[in-house]
Amino acid sequence: MAAVLTPKDFATATPAWWCAGCGDYGVLSALKQALAELGKAPKDVAFVSGIGCSGKISGYVHAYAFHGVHGRALPVATAVKLANHELTVIAAGGDGDGYAIGAGHFLHAVRRNPNVTYIVMDNQTYGLTKGQSSPTSATGYVTGTSPGGNPDAPINGLAVALAAGGSFLARGFSAHPKKLVELLKVAIEHDGFSIVEVMSPCVTYNKINTYAWFKENTYYVDAAAGYDAADRTRAFGVLVDGENEGGKIPLGVLYHDSRATFEKLVHLPEQPLTKIDLHANKHQLAALSNAYR
Amino acid sequence: MPQNDIEIMFGGQAGDGSLTTGDLIAGIFKRMGLEVYTYKDFPSRIRGGHTNYVIRAGERRNYGMADAVDGLVAFDLEAVEAHVDELRPGGFVVFDCSSERVPDAIRRPDVTWYDVPLAKIAKEELGLELVRNTISLGVLSKLIGMDPALVRNDVTGVYARKGEKVAALNIRAIEAGEAFVERHFSEWPSGYNLEPREDGERLLMMGNDAIAYGALVGGCRFMAGYPITPATDVLEWMAKHLPKFGGVAVQAEDELAAINMVIGAAFAGVRAMTATSGPGQALMTEAIGLAAVLEIPIVVVECARAGPSTGLPTKTEQSNLNHLIFSGHGEIPRVVLAPGTVEDSFYISARAFDIAEKYQCPVFVLTEQALCQSKATLPPLDVSSVAVDRGKLSTEAVVFGEYRRFAWSEDGVSPRVVPGVEGGMHLAPGSEHDPAGVILEDAANRTRMMDKRMRKLTAMRRDLPKPIVHGDQCADIAIFGYGSNRGPIVEAVDRLAHAGIAVRFFEFRTLWPFPEAEVAAFAAEAKHIFVVENDYSGQLERLIRYVTGPLAHMHLVNKYDGKPFRPIEIIEAVERHALMRGPSDDAPQPQTVRVKR
Repeated sequence: MAAVLTPKDFATATPAWWCAGCGDYGVLSALKQALAELGKAPKDVAFVSGIGCSGKISGYVHAYAFHGVHGRALPVATAVKLANHELTVIAAGGDGDGYAIGAGHFLHAVRRNPNVTYIVMDNQTYGLTKGQSSPTSATGYVTGTSPGGNPDAPINGLAVALAAGGSFLARGFSAHPKKLVELLKVAIEHDGFSIVEVMSPCVTYNKINTYAWFKENTYYVDAAAGYDAADRTRAFGVLVDGENEGGKIPLGVLYHDSRATFEKLVHLPEQPLTKIDLHANKHQLAALSNAYR
Repeated sequence: MPQNDIEIMFGGQAGDGSLTTGDLIAGIFKRMGLEVYTYKDFPSRIRGGHTNYVIRAGERRNYGMADAVDGLVAFDLEAVEAHVDELRPGGFVVFDCSSERVPDAIRRPDVTWYDVPLAKIAKEELGLELVRNTISLGVLSKLIGMDPALVRNDVTGVYARKGEKVAALNIRAIEAGEAFVERHFSEWPSGYNLEPREDGERLLMMGNDAIAYGALVGGCRFMAGYPITPATDVLEWMAKHLPKFGGVAVQAEDELAAINMVIGAAFAGVRAMTATSGPGQALMTEAIGLAAVLEIPIVVVECARAGPSTGLPTKTEQSNLNHLIFSGHGEIPRVVLAPGTVEDSFYISARAFDIAEKYQCPVFVLTEQALCQSKATLPPLDVSSVAVDRGKLSTEAVVFGEYRRFAWSEDGVSPRVVPGVEGGMHLAPGSEHDPAGVILEDAANRTRMMDKRMRKLTAMRRDLPKPIVHGDQCADIAIFGYGSNRGPIVEAVDRLAHAGIAVRFFEFRTLWPFPEAEVAAFAAEAKHIFVVENDYSGQLERLIRYVTGPLAHMHLVNKYDGKPFRPIEIIEAVERHALMRGPSDDAPQPQTVRVKR
């Protein structure tokens, strides 16, 4: 067994470039803590992120990090897992990256259920382009691109994922580090596609969905209150049907179940694809041409 | 002189089985020892719409269609209307006269008509209209003298999968076709002498299968793709065969996902590819820039079809050349390779993975519908000649803090480790970065990193497939071309040579980085230059002109009607410009040359 790891083992020399007070700091420290507590070696962690303020997070985690194009973190992460299933694969991005430009991939990752953890850092705005409305912004939210108020209804990503067959759905709040570490640990250990949506306030552009607002408008569903995260109907109740303490945003593990992973369903061999000897099997390769004789 | 060379066209409605029968005939010709080329011309729908399938067989390997069709098997009047003009004088038509008649106006007197009530015989004698295709095969094989034992053997082989009863029914259909010919016709098509030859170890393979097979042999173990004509065959082949070799093929939700999956798998250390066509290629463009800037080796097969937009989705064109070479924001090192035959599709596809990994950049394999969905006979493929060179990839632990994923080097290529290797942790960012992968907007670093990536284009030249010069190396007349046009151009060059006109042909196999020195040398002494390509604007011609400067004696021979060239079109272009012949040309006629049509 390797030496006990600490969050410092996942720290990079590059300091984070987020605004002071940004919710994403909470996500970063919780993730490093979770990885350390789970004993994941940095060399065995592949961390893929999209574009936006939140997409910068891959630059701040000491691991094999990949900062790709806007909205495509999930296809990259899915393929990294297929290529080498021995890796711990985590993808991260914002509400725009995941629910706007990358919404298609989000839905298909849910369908496929790869053993990948996806962290959606939701600040209800486009921060890096200076505060336009995002797919989770409230209707009526006034921004530079929606001066007359955002005409779109917000997406409830976890509800969409639940309907599409998501196998692990959780939501955290970046101001609650201990709870977030626990959520991330359970998510990473889940054998399947685990989504952790994190309420991660933008202190610069979103003057509505602030820390204070989230504190007032969120609550934890937990076992103590009789909540059963294996109960899909119950999950629909809190995510879709308004059984949420008078319109509050539910936090915690909202739903989990167990179903076959993508890796299993594509019959991935025991040996990672990265370890196949490409010089072998010339005879077997040559035999394929017999069908063309 | 009897010719051991025949071109048969099957024409009918999509879904009526003419493709199956065409494949059967191609197989029989191949087993008769003949060289075969097939060309599918089908509509973008599953049932209905005119479709035709051309099978050319002969003693020489042509990789293209002949000047004209020898025999048309027409399952309906529409097939006659569409193709009667493509028949050579002296050719023949087998027409299904069960319910339609050919009007006298299009009943050419210079071809022989064999009216056979195929559907009627099928229904009345065999009880199943579906077998009219097989009856037509019996008719055809009798008319042109195909080996009856081989015909029976192949028909049984193909239909055995559907059960003994089906196979037996199809044999009866062959016999019914033969019997009809014997009973009703006294005059058979003349001039065909299909002498059986040695079949040997040869293969009959489609271009797309050769690309997929080459990729597998070249070490590809991951493919992601999205179905699109005419590239889907590659994904289907890989889905069937990759798992046997420990690999995986994924059908993605769209091309954006497919290319990003390929990049993810390659980042993790697997040789990975996708295959697509124009519309998909357009969607992949942004991510291909990412692969180049992250120095991740990927192979992208482009099976070109006629664009823009949906264009002619099942027809051939070469109009995506500019897209492959120039697409994307910013500037990246990239490679564009173009095989000209089915066997070269195999070897170039295999080689693409070595080039990609040695130079850590995107490599395109460019082909077109007329090559990638065509079948051809070829010599056995030499699997053992394919070496796998993974370049600067290492699985050895490196020292964190010393290791630089994007380190400067003479050839622009940096040592590469992948996730799981101790010490190699780094950020791979699409943003500009320093050698360690740290995002950096510094001007000097930017210049240095651009230089590093782009210099690969120089270093890689020694490893790229060389052009092939065909014909008389000293000829005054020079032709440039690539891909599916290799077949008709080589045939035109040979026929011109027989007529005493020396021509040479420069077959590109690498289109980017552009082989400037070779192009300049080839063009230097030429008195007439022809650039043959399937596009409107002369994309290849412009690239050549960029090297040679404007030349009055350079002629663009192009078409963009969705159909491949026939050799005569190239011969006529050469005659028109180089021999100054043609109806509107009042220049003196320098010589009288008869090119064999």
